[in-house]
Amino acid sequence: MLRYTARRLLGAIPTLLVIVTLAFLLLHTAPGGPFDGAKRLLPEIQKSIEAKYHLDEPLWRQYLRYLGDLTRGDLGPSFQYRSTSVNEIIAQGLPVDATIGLTAMTLALAIGAAVGVNAALRRGTRWDYGSMALAVVGISTPVFVVAPLLILIFAIKLHWLPSGDWVRGSPSHLLLPAVALALPYTAYVARMMRGSTIEVLNSPFIRTARAKGLPLRLIVWRHALRPTLTPLVSFLGPAIAGLLTGSIVVESVFGLPGIGRYFITAALNRDYTLVIGITVLYGALIILFNLLADLCYAWIDPRVRLR
Amino acid sequence: MTAARRRAASACAACLIAGCGSVDSPSSAPEPSPASSITVGTALASVQSLSRALDDTPRSIDPQLATDVPGQRVLDDLFEGLTTIDVAGKASAGVASSWESSADGKTWVFHLRPDARWSNGAPLTAGDFVYSWRRMVDPGTGAEYAQGLAAIDNALEIAAGKKPTDTLGVEALDDHTLRVRLNGPTPYLLDLLAQQYMYPVYEPAITQYGDNWVRPEHLVCNGAFVLRENVLGSRMTLEKNDRYWDAAHVRLQRVVYYILTDGSAQVSRFLAGDVDWTDSFPANQRAWLKSALGEQVVNSPYFGNYMLGMNFAQPPFKDNLPLRRALVLALDRAPLARYMREGVYEPAYTLMPPLPDYQLPLPDWTGLSTEARYALARRLYAQAGYSDRHPLRLDLDATMLDTGSRHYLEAVAANWRSVLGAEVHIDEREFKVLLQELQLHKLLLFHDAWIGDYPDPYTFMQIFYTGNGNNHGGYSNPHFDQLIDAAGQEADAGKRFRLFEQAERLLNDDAAYIPLYYYATRHLVKPYLRGWQSNVMDRNLSRYMYLLEHQGR
Repeated sequence: MLRYTARRLLGAIPTLLVIVTLAFLLLHTAPGGPFDGAKRLLPEIQKSIEAKYHLDEPLWRQYLRYLGDLTRGDLGPSFQYRSTSVNEIIAQGLPVDATIGLTAMTLALAIGAAVGVNAALRRGTRWDYGSMALAVVGISTPVFVVAPLLILIFAIKLHWLPSGDWVRGSPSHLLLPAVALALPYTAYVARMMRGSTIEVLNSPFIRTARAKGLPLRLIVWRHALRPTLTPLVSFLGPAIAGLLTGSIVVESVFGLPGIGRYFITAALNRDYTLVIGITVLYGALIILFNLLADLCYAWIDPRVRLR
Repeated sequence: MTAARRRAASACAACLIAGCGSVDSPSSAPEPSPASSITVGTALASVQSLSRALDDTPRSIDPQLATDVPGQRVLDDLFEGLTTIDVAGKASAGVASSWESSADGKTWVFHLRPDARWSNGAPLTAGDFVYSWRRMVDPGTGAEYAQGLAAIDNALEIAAGKKPTDTLGVEALDDHTLRVRLNGPTPYLLDLLAQQYMYPVYEPAITQYGDNWVRPEHLVCNGAFVLRENVLGSRMTLEKNDRYWDAAHVRLQRVVYYILTDGSAQVSRFLAGDVDWTDSFPANQRAWLKSALGEQVVNSPYFGNYMLGMNFAQPPFKDNLPLRRALVLALDRAPLARYMREGVYEPAYTLMPPLPDYQLPLPDWTGLSTEARYALARRLYAQAGYSDRHPLRLDLDATMLDTGSRHYLEAVAANWRSVLGAEVHIDEREFKVLLQELQLHKLLLFHDAWIGDYPDPYTFMQIFYTGNGNNHGGYSNPHFDQLIDAAGQEADAGKRFRLFEQAERLLNDDAAYIPLYYYATRHLVKPYLRGWQSNVMDRNLSRYMYLLEHQGR
């Protein structure tokens, strides 16, 4: 397993290199540069600013310079936020997104799994139809509707919770964004757990357990639960990577200092280094969590052998 | 009024705004707001902590690198120039307590307050301004607004790398006297000096910490507040600077700027009582906000306008005055503004937004009835060679729009279709793409907007000067350029304005652009927030603000 992990991590390097190269080329081909603003600068001033950030060099040299910095862990200066480095932006934003994302994922897993398994065990009952109908609503209601609605109810009408802002370690500031973010995931997990539980409950080994006269509770907890997690694990890998890097909507509605919003604003502002930095981070996280998911398969399913 | 303030007022009376002209500003007498449950008392609130919403993350809080409005708002609280902005938005005495200028208006001497200090207690001297302004034009700084100093001797040559920084027309005669040499009379100098890029910066902090000098732990400033915390993209916390020369009159102990890029988020924070003053609100929410919040919704004129530009170098607009005039005439601006922009913005007929002492040169056609104007537009359209069989087919290029602006432009196109039969299609482009195509003069009919930096016609007129980088349509009229040049050398404020008025009449005659509407400020303001006045430059320093006792949110 160690050899497998090491091989996968080494294999990630060329993948990341492709991601960096593509992001670099795509951004530099897009029309307009970071310092083209609504007010036109004098050509000499424009040139001196571009020289300061090496934007006047040939593209291949800028690329090599960027790769060199990257190997040292330096993601470069942000063009959009002058006097701020991309490392600083990520260091400040990532913990915020991670806190909200992991809280949301914990909520989604706990509630979603409980509802899904319950629905599967009571298949065909009102409970089953009711919870799955709710799940459809949860999946199809966009976050930009849920988030303002939560603010309207809990901040504006009831004054129970703050309407936004971020205070480290404050559960009241965490709750609404985490719930808004968790809702679609909860619904998704519930549907997925229901499906896989039904499938597992119909498999021969469960039928054997039932034939032996084991009580249902024991069957579910001891035998059925682990195999039902397989589809969930493949979903969780990329989902956690996505949650960690933030949600644009939740961040802007609640005014949170995450990094999700930069996926759009930095690209629109041609903040090359910030876009590439966040893309690389996102790529690395996806690779990492997919690897973790694969390692989990081996634990869940004894038939899986990692080579 | 101190002698210095009086002098400040008289020296630039001509180029300042006399009144704030607010449409519905908060009432001055303490009273409960009719449409909300807030009760306001008369005594000061015990906690003087103000929460303000900002439209975006400041791109920088380095005065010489900041280029955006959010940056300017925060910098107005942290720093102070030779002049500053008073509660009505006018330039007034700042670090300089008095000044005098030579007869030709080209040399100015400023006397700095002896009690002006940096937030670390060090004295603020004339040498600090020399350092800061040289830093602004030094090509190594990479300041995007370096050309803002164009009025000062040698500034542009230094920014272009053709002269050393010490040739800049500014020198410290002693610690408290600063002499500034200009390359022409600049009646708006006092307004210019209150721009954020003219603020002084503290050299030892920059030498020691480099780019990191703007971090809260290193930042040394000279304004009414100091920076305590900066959470990028979320919040900036400022605290009162006890070393500020006028600290005795600053009542707020704390100002928190919340960055809320989503206009609706600003509204919900305001409704929840977590924010006292919003930077804006979505224009299309004005009607219900007004009914829910009454006087707390504040709109007032803003020194900017929204227009459409036309390409003078290519058909169909090249050498085609009848067509340009037909498009200008065939719009009913008042209903367009009232119904498509919720009455937030006023219809525009001129390039310059209203400015005291400046006689807006209304085009001749504004005197015509709608029917007569439309009939004339149709005649001009036919004269340009278009008809129902052979209509004008054209793309109107605009940047990615919010719903309200998109509906507005659709209505403009519909207006042209119904009056002239012209088929104009709205084409949305990413902002950077639009900018590049504008600079290459590729677009024929395009979205254009301008906001003046200081209350003077020059900031608007320059964009139609031959060869100006912002002259996207490539308009050129030697007579117009001569008038602008003459205004640049005219020291008499009245005569100068008359020259600009003549120049603007030429723009009308040439149908150089299509005016649509003047911008307006949009704020939500709690009734207990006082010391605040909407103004045409939309600059509101926290220094003057205070909170009254109140109950409810």
